[in-house]
Amino acid sequence: MLAGLMMSLYLVESAFADAPLQDSLTAQERRGKQIYVQGTSSTSRQEILAYLGDASLEVPGSAMACANCHGLNGEGKPEGGVIPSNLTWEALTKPYGVTHPGGRTHPPYTERALELAITRGLDPAGNKLLNVMPRYQMSREDMADLIAYLKRLGQSSDPGVTDSSISIGTILPSRSNLASVGEAIKAVTTAYFQEVNSQGGIYNRKIELKIAVTADTPAATSANIKRFIEDEHVFAMTSAFTAGADRELTTLMKELEVPLVGPLTLYPQVDFPLNRQVFYLLPGMDEQARALVKFASQRLPDQKAVVLILYPEGGQPAGVMEAIQDQCRKSGCGALQNISYQRVNLDLPAFARKLSQTSANSLFFLGTGEEALALMKEADKLRWSPFLYLPGAPVAGNQMFDAPLSFNRKIFLPFPTSPADQTTEGVGEFRALAAKYGLPAQHLAMQVSVYSAAKLLVEGLKRAGKELSREKLIEALEGLNKYETGLTPAITYGPNRRIGAMGAHIITIDLEKKQFMPASPWVNTN
Amino acid sequence: MLKKPLFMLMTAALMVCVLMPGGGNLTAVGQAQQKPQQKKSAARYACPMHPEVTSEKPGKCPKCGMDLRLIEDEESVPPAQESSTVAAENRDEGALSSLQIPETTVYDQNGKRLNFYSDLVKGKVVAINFIFTTCTTICPPLTATFRRVQQMLKEQAGADVQLISVSVDPVIDTPERLRDFAAKFKAGPGWTFVTGDKFDFDSLLRALGAAVANKNDHTPMILVGNDATGYWTRTYGLSSPATLVKVITEAVNHKSGVVIKAGADPQ
Repeated sequence: MLAGLMMSLYLVESAFADAPLQDSLTAQERRGKQIYVQGTSSTSRQEILAYLGDASLEVPGSAMACANCHGLNGEGKPEGGVIPSNLTWEALTKPYGVTHPGGRTHPPYTERALELAITRGLDPAGNKLLNVMPRYQMSREDMADLIAYLKRLGQSSDPGVTDSSISIGTILPSRSNLASVGEAIKAVTTAYFQEVNSQGGIYNRKIELKIAVTADTPAATSANIKRFIEDEHVFAMTSAFTAGADRELTTLMKELEVPLVGPLTLYPQVDFPLNRQVFYLLPGMDEQARALVKFASQRLPDQKAVVLILYPEGGQPAGVMEAIQDQCRKSGCGALQNISYQRVNLDLPAFARKLSQTSANSLFFLGTGEEALALMKEADKLRWSPFLYLPGAPVAGNQMFDAPLSFNRKIFLPFPTSPADQTTEGVGEFRALAAKYGLPAQHLAMQVSVYSAAKLLVEGLKRAGKELSREKLIEALEGLNKYETGLTPAITYGPNRRIGAMGAHIITIDLEKKQFMPASPWVNTN
Repeated sequence: MLKKPLFMLMTAALMVCVLMPGGGNLTAVGQAQQKPQQKKSAARYACPMHPEVTSEKPGKCPKCGMDLRLIEDEESVPPAQESSTVAAENRDEGALSSLQIPETTVYDQNGKRLNFYSDLVKGKVVAINFIFTTCTTICPPLTATFRRVQQMLKEQAGADVQLISVSVDPVIDTPERLRDFAAKFKAGPGWTFVTGDKFDFDSLLRALGAAVANKNDHTPMILVGNDATGYWTRTYGLSSPATLVKVITEAVNHKSGVVIKAGADPQ
């Protein structure tokens, strides 16, 4: 009964072996970990404070958390001649004591001795610790929590990693009209991980795919996925279908510290401060709009010419509009004039006439493809054919071929990928996988994106090394520079960058031959 | 499906874009530096391999045959010319004789564009430390120490003494990151955090004696100086705040000739 209920809640499937045993932290150790990593207490009302030098220097514990210097694994991060001690319990309690690089020696630590080191800055022999080691003031409960965690430091791994397996989760859309999309995501991911596993996995760990589905509302999806990640011990996520619940799900990943590679969405959440956990492959609408503006500004005949932005009332996500305006300022594309129009009851001929009288030669159009087409037909009657840039709306491809010939090669669209990104090797690998595992023929673009995300995640897992942690995975992904998936533009991440390919291809339409043409090489907006 | 020439073209373009220095919002960096140099246009050319080979005309190096390159070195022809004359006269034993503060374009924690020398250093007493926001071992204590120094200087901070934190990792440290970092340590007015274009910062850091190949090797050094008198010195940034205040006070006294005790009201 309960099992059935759980299944209906988030439809969990384990593609491979049984769920592994987890050595997860106790509640007390988890509280201690927060103190160690963030320098804050989750329970105590008393703020944790740190004192440096002659105690005149007081800062909040969060400014000098233990992990800052001693590292998430407790082994210490040397910097500028300062060598923080190894804090793993094994190192602290060596029966024959510890001799430090500077010559300081002391007997092994006990719990009480550790408390003195933290609060008074003294080692078990009574020696003063390094002057950059602060002395901390915290409640007795917090101290007990911290010490409980220090005993586990360096031993406990993140959830979802055992000696023989790594649990990776994904999210499929639940809406019935997207069922085939979900099937495609599942098929590609399963096939690729099976292929990786058949070649020895990642440092002999097999990837186990866990699958969840979205719910009816963003809040419900978020709640389900939270339970899914916790119950299934998901280490990291790939290609999750987050569209519609982007903000909720990315916030959840941040809260649970679960890395997510390649969420399927058009609206990446990349506001400052960055969500460190979420890595996007391709640019969203905003970034593509920026690329289009950059492209447009380079070919404007006159930098001072008026540029019109046309948008339907209440129909356009604000982000795209802001991106256009901001990029225009940066690239310098003359005076912008925003003009809205009503979707219903619009006197199109009059509207087109009014527009043509502005003498604008460049038009950013944020409505639908149909609306753009209707406007072009009116403009053509007025013998007015400005350059038409279509940054926002998903334009149904072939309908644009019916545009008047006066707009031949004057319509421009941004695309995040193009066949030019695909290498023979990349295409070959994907085709081989598709043939071997009988992947569906539908949703190829989606499959390519899912496949690339899984490939990127596997690359990150490999680079993170055998001693795997979520933090190491994030650092490994941040280190990717112009990584070729073979099917997408090269992927680069960094501490400030979470969109792998920043920019877009600009495509124009040859209305005589009725085909899309590249108008520009990749426009980089980074 | 695969159009080879198109593909190659796009790859080439991508490479060019990726290889361009600097972040997207910092494109204007580096222009201000050019102007002051044009006044002193005694052009010199040097061999890239043999810096001792110099000439006033372009040509080839007699040692290796390489083309001589125009030297545009702000260290040898500093825009901070006006101050360095004064510096030469007033130089005394504690001073660093080779120090020239360049006019690098920098951005502060609010994204405001400044000229490093004329906006932050010229005519002032400054204490400069070197940080980066992803540095977690020594930068927090360095910054906390600076915060305490600022408190101990009271009204002098911002008025007589400018505190400057220069990022040694300008590529990652955007103004937003600096603002976050400054807020974490409750940095008050008169304390400017600066970042900028990687290329410009390399020469700025070299000029200030804080350049390192690996940012994790950066030392907890503080540069203290009085621009008006040309007195410059360096000190260990992890010393106690009182020690630092003493060093800064010495620099202040160099200007006024009046002894001001640490933490005392300058009035």
